[in-house]
Amino acid sequence: MSSPWKPVTYENGKGIFHLFTNLCKGCGLCVEKCPVNTIGWSKKLGVYGTPAVEPGHGEKDCIACGICELVCPDCAIKIEKVKDKKEA
Amino acid sequence: MSVAPKMPKCWRPETKAHKFCPGCGHGLVLKALGEAIDELGIQERTVFGCDIGCSLLAWDFFNIDTVQTHHGRTTPVITGIKRANEDVIGIAYMGDGGGYAIGSQHLVNAATRNEKITVILVNNTNYGMTGGQMAPTTLPNQKTETSPYGRDVEATGNPTQGPEMVAAITPDTAYVARGTVANVRQLKKFMKRALENQISGNGFSFVEVLSGCPTNWRTNAAETWKFIEETMPQYFKIGEIKVPGEKKEG
Repeated sequence: MSSPWKPVTYENGKGIFHLFTNLCKGCGLCVEKCPVNTIGWSKKLGVYGTPAVEPGHGEKDCIACGICELVCPDCAIKIEKVKDKKEA
Repeated sequence: MSVAPKMPKCWRPETKAHKFCPGCGHGLVLKALGEAIDELGIQERTVFGCDIGCSLLAWDFFNIDTVQTHHGRTTPVITGIKRANEDVIGIAYMGDGGGYAIGSQHLVNAATRNEKITVILVNNTNYGMTGGQMAPTTLPNQKTETSPYGRDVEATGNPTQGPEMVAAITPDTAYVARGTVANVRQLKKFMKRALENQISGNGFSFVEVLSGCPTNWRTNAAETWKFIEETMPQYFKIGEIKVPGEKKEG
């Protein structure tokens, strides 16, 4: 079954940050809880026409800790961790 | 393969995004509850009752049999369902207005009778749906629509300490705890224990959750977290208050 929600995906070496714009209400709870302050407001709009969020706004990059996924009341964020060691 | 949001399996995806305001604590409470139901594998035999107020917006939240009642009567309705069919897991979900003000007699009497149901009460210190009026749980000097100069404890009394009250009137087999949306993992553990207490037929289980209401508090995200994490626990102590035959956490 295909998902009715299309994610916007941001990727760095440590993890993949999926943001479902038609679930994100732009409450900003994740922005405050991010331990490296990397989440900020995006130019993409959320389900209520308010700005959605995206990583890559702070000095440090996303560390894929998953706290934003935990505190999102709408399950709009999904974090996938990338394994550190490359398999030979 | 398309990526799907990480929702609890018992959530009803076609009703998402859900109806709660941006930043509302109900989403986090229901996420913790949904994950607890998933882990216990009781989706098929659960009945979920929601009360009036913002909590009724959860009427189509789960893929679970749901009933909506008024003014704290969720507790007796779920009690009736549970008495008629003991295999059912009954969850009564309500806000602090429904549970502590207009419907407190139902909560008090169900707790006294040690009914084998689970009550989850979301405390956001005001009446959210009607526009943020003062509730029994409003903190001293907190400004609301009907206490514009702050709650005067001389005239209106102190905030209701719900779990402490329930713990005082229930027998030893009851489970009583207070969690917070600032600690979702701990909250999920409390909900799971409350449901397990019902599944094992021990007795009444009650979880109060400290939750946020940014719309009526008129707070931004940073102030919302500050209020939930710093101000509310000064009056409402987080942790397990009554555990049948076990050591308490928190």
